[in-house]
Amino acid sequence: MSKTIYELVDDLPERNLTIFALNSLDFVIPGQWQNLTGFENTIREITGETDEAIIQQIGDRAVWLYNDKSQGYQQALWLYQTIDRAGSALGSAALANKVGEKIPLLGFLNRLTPKADRAQTLDLSLKLVVEIVAYCRINGIPGDSIGDFVAALVDNYTGPSLMRMSALVCFDGLIPLGTNFLSQVETTLNNLSPKALEDNESYQRIHDSIPGNSTTGKLEFINRSFESVQGWMGDLVRDRDLTAEKVADRLSSFIDFSEGKLDYLAAFLDVSTNYYEHTGIQTLARSLIERAVAEI
Amino acid sequence: MLKMPHLQKILASFALAFLLLVTACSPSPPSRFEQAQQESTQPKVTAVSPEAKAGGEFNRFFPQSKDVVFSQEKRGFAQAKLKQDGKEMATLSIVDLNDNSAAIAKYEDSLETVGGYPVVEVGSTGTGLLIDNRFQVKVLSRDPDFSSSDRRLWLEKFDLAGLGNMAVATGEENE
Repeated sequence: MSKTIYELVDDLPERNLTIFALNSLDFVIPGQWQNLTGFENTIREITGETDEAIIQQIGDRAVWLYNDKSQGYQQALWLYQTIDRAGSALGSAALANKVGEKIPLLGFLNRLTPKADRAQTLDLSLKLVVEIVAYCRINGIPGDSIGDFVAALVDNYTGPSLMRMSALVCFDGLIPLGTNFLSQVETTLNNLSPKALEDNESYQRIHDSIPGNSTTGKLEFINRSFESVQGWMGDLVRDRDLTAEKVADRLSSFIDFSEGKLDYLAAFLDVSTNYYEHTGIQTLARSLIERAVAEI
Repeated sequence: MLKMPHLQKILASFALAFLLLVTACSPSPPSRFEQAQQESTQPKVTAVSPEAKAGGEFNRFFPQSKDVVFSQEKRGFAQAKLKQDGKEMATLSIVDLNDNSAAIAKYEDSLETVGGYPVVEVGSTGTGLLIDNRFQVKVLSRDPDFSSSDRRLWLEKFDLAGLGNMAVATGEENE
C-alpha cells in the first residue's frame, strides 16, 4: 500500500547524502532552506499555530485533500519520484554505511557512466517540465493571466522549491555541463527531433503527464517551460557568480574526488541522491497545509 | 514434583519473556490522523464537492494591491500571499464551504461582524469571515508582526459585497 501523506512527511530522512548535498548549497541561497521533516512539525512551522485542536483539524483536512485523487497531489508526488528514479544503480544500501565519512569517488568510478551532453541537457529540461507540471497539479494555475502565472511560479521559489531549483542549476546544470549550460540546453532543444525525444528514458516514463497531443506538441511545451524559467536560472548563476568549481568545492567536504572528474561527480550525485523527491514532498506538504488551514 | 517457589520463578521468567516479546513486537501507536486517513479512503468519498465554484471565480474579489500575489487556485479555493518588502506577512483565501458543515458551524457563536458578516478567530493565527453560509474569507498571519487587527483590516479590503451577490446568485441557481 502506498504511504499516507503523514507517513511520507514523517519518514523524510534527516541525515543522508541527499541532505548533505543540499546543505552544501546553502551558500547559493543562504538560510533559505531547512530540512523540515515530520508532518505535525511541518504544520506547526508553516502555520505558526499552537492550538492542538486546530492542528488536528488542519492535519485531518490535509489528509482528506491528499487522498482525493482529483486534487492532483498524488500525481505531483508520482512525478517528483519518477523523474528522480531514472537511474539509481547505487542504491542507498551501497552508501548507507558511508554517511559520516568522506566518500571516495574513485571507488565508484567503475559503476558510474557520465551522461553525454545531449542526454544531460534533456534530463535537465525534463526535470524543469516536471517542476512546472507538478506545480500546476499542486497549486492549479493561479491568477487570471500568463503574467499572474509566471509571477506565482517564480514567487513559489521559496524554501524547498527554491532549494530544488538551485540544486537543478548546480547539480544538473553547472557540474555536468559548465557555466554555459543554459545556452547548451537551448541549442539542444532547438535541434531536437520528436524521435530523439521519444528515445529518452526519462521522457518515456513521464510523457503521459506532459501537456500536448503529440510528441511535437509535448516538445513545444518542454521548450516553453524552459523559456519561462531560463531567465530566473541565468539570474541565479550571475547574481551568485556560480561556477561548477565553486559548487564542487562545497561538495568536497564529504565527497573525495579529483579535479577533472566533474562529469563523474555529476553521475554520482545523479544516482546517489533523490533531491527532487525529497524537496518535492516538502513542497507538496507546504501547499497542502496552507490550503487545509484556509479550509477549516 | 517441583517446589512452589521454583515454579513461581519459572512462571515469572516466562511472564517477563512474554511481556518483552509483546512490547517489542507491538506496532507503533496509531497516528492522530489515522481516523481521517480511514474515512477519506472509503469508496466514493471526495474532499471537494463537484458543486463547489471554480477557484478562478474568486480572484476578482481579492484585495486589489501590488502586494497581493496569487498562489493557489483549486476547485472551491483560491489563495494569495500578502508580501511586504519581499516578506510574506499573511495569506488571504476564499473557500467555497459548500458541504463543509463543520467549518460553517464555528460561526454560530460569532459575536462580531466585519462588513455585516460574522467573523471568528480561528486558532491563534487566523481570522475567518462567513458569507451567506457559503463562502469563507480568511486571513492568516505569517509573520508575528501581523496582528489580529491587521487581519480584520485586510478582511475589509476584499470585495465582500461582490461575494455576497455571488452567494445569493449561487443559492438561486440551486433552488
